[in-house]
Amino acid sequence: MWAVYKKELKSYFLSPIGYVVIGVLLFVCAVFFYLTTISYGSIDLGGLYFYAALYGFMIVIPILTMRMFAEERKNGTEQLILTSPVSMVGVVIGKFLAAMSVIFITLLISFIYFGIMSYFGSPNIKVLLVAMLGFLLISGSAISFGMFASSITENQIIAGIITITFLVMSLFVPDLGKGFPDIAIINLYQKFPSGVISLTELVGTISFAIMFIAFTIIVMQRRKLVK
Amino acid sequence: MIQVENITKKYGDFTAVDNINFEIDEGEIVGFLGPNGAGKSTTMNMITGFIEPSLGKIFIDGYDISKKPKKAKRQIGYMPEGVPLYSDLTVKEFVTYMAELKGVNKKDKKANVQKVIKDTGLEDVQNKLIRNLSRGYKQRVSMAGALVNNPKVIILDEPTVGLDPKQVTEIRALIKELGKEHTVILSSHILSEVSQICNRVIIINKGKIVAIDTPENLERKVVKGNAIHVTVEDPENKMETIKEKLNNVQDISLIAENDDKTKKYMIIASEEVDLRKSIFETFAKEGITIFEMKKVNATLEEAFMELINNENEKNSDIKADETIEKETTEENNIEVQDEKETEEVNESEEKENEDVQESEMKENKETVEEPIETEKKEEKKTETNKIEQHDEQEKKEKGGENNVGSL
Repeated sequence: MWAVYKKELKSYFLSPIGYVVIGVLLFVCAVFFYLTTISYGSIDLGGLYFYAALYGFMIVIPILTMRMFAEERKNGTEQLILTSPVSMVGVVIGKFLAAMSVIFITLLISFIYFGIMSYFGSPNIKVLLVAMLGFLLISGSAISFGMFASSITENQIIAGIITITFLVMSLFVPDLGKGFPDIAIINLYQKFPSGVISLTELVGTISFAIMFIAFTIIVMQRRKLVK
Repeated sequence: MIQVENITKKYGDFTAVDNINFEIDEGEIVGFLGPNGAGKSTTMNMITGFIEPSLGKIFIDGYDISKKPKKAKRQIGYMPEGVPLYSDLTVKEFVTYMAELKGVNKKDKKANVQKVIKDTGLEDVQNKLIRNLSRGYKQRVSMAGALVNNPKVIILDEPTVGLDPKQVTEIRALIKELGKEHTVILSSHILSEVSQICNRVIIINKGKIVAIDTPENLERKVVKGNAIHVTVEDPENKMETIKEKLNNVQDISLIAENDDKTKKYMIIASEEVDLRKSIFETFAKEGITIFEMKKVNATLEEAFMELINNENEKNSDIKADETIEKETTEENNIEVQDEKETEEVNESEEKENEDVQESEMKENKETVEEPIETEKKEEKKTETNKIEQHDEQEKKEKGGENNVGSL
């Protein structure tokens, strides 16, 4: 697992993907830092992370996840992994954690905003940490879905589009009717940004991530039967 | 070391591998041989655990690959077809990653990586990105990745495809070297390669095993008679009467007349004797100048073609028997058409053959150890001619078979 994790993380930063993801996400953060805090004269950073998750993920998560398995399948390198004495569970979790790490790095950099706020006032660090934890959880859900999309096709573009569609749906869900809110994972990131640890959201995001990680593992394990 | 028991792989209605059985002992170098689409790669993929067989079992060093995949896979080093690699890593990074994937101890990792990089001749490029390497180097990187955990079994899918002649010889030497300590399975459609490297050959056609034997035995099986080719200059046309002056000669026939007024004959001996000495002496007395003389050896190519041919004939016989008599004239027409259709395919195959041939010729030129260069060339030519002829024949048969089926 750690071999895969190390290699994947390295690949993110050997290619532009890692930098693009971090850059774009920080840019979105910066925009909403201005819109939600500076312009209102507020010291609450929760809105920044909420909007970064809502809009930033649409761009960033597909970029981060679309190549995960699709590229390996296309280049045939999945043969190297599948014929090595590693378990599929380890491979999938290794890749998942590598993508999570990129988001985590972005989160660390986003402490800048906390620094700026501290200069002007005294923001609550606990609220911020809860918001960040929630951000990490919700990104886990989004990444697991993107990873699953990548595992079912060998075309990266298709994987990316599936992921974008899923994430964009969050925006339209309120218009779709009452039955649909559960589809939007952003609904699982409502209380965390304001510093409240919600059990619903905690369980919701984690179980969502586990479900799609499990789906990915199943898809990859079935590959050797149907190939 | 490897036991393959009754494995079958089906894709829907299509059976890619049909009830294959064989065993491979420790330290053997075994070659998989077969035309494209015969099921070589599928079989290899099943042995490595990349694909699950529809039926049957595979044991690697006693471990069932589908029940104890980790233990079984640890014994295997696999170089897949088309050498898939991570192009954004350097050679060293890739080999290290493969070592980690295969669970090589932390202690041994560095030493193992350095050793395989040295063994595969990658020292000069170890810090280059794989993306920037030539095909030959990529092949070696893939091989290094397969060898890094010092596996008992090494499986190489078409290891010499797309390499230049020098690289081909190097890789072959490397494989031979590996065969001293490891069990090696390789697949190839280059027959000379297999007969050079392997102790045993498994010939596969249409998903079935056609033959398992040593290259020598397979060659022996198809040797017919005892024939010699001679190219002579014979201004007084004495060849017509020479038969009486030679002992043990069954038949002398003219094969070709060359532009330089030499003629090529085939002399077939009636017994298992070497005629060359008496031919040389008698021809000299008669004033016939010998330009070239060569014993005709059956090659693995011929064995291969004959085996596969037999197999095809059997199949087509069953299907075609009933209809074939009525439709003879019609079928002839179809055959002509088919020939045209298959010509293009044949051309590309021929090119491939020629490439190999050319490269091997170059090898011969380079090494001074081969004094009978022309003879070699000649031999190669006849070999390829035979392949071409056979290809055409096979295509015809296939075409015929299909058409009969649809009539």
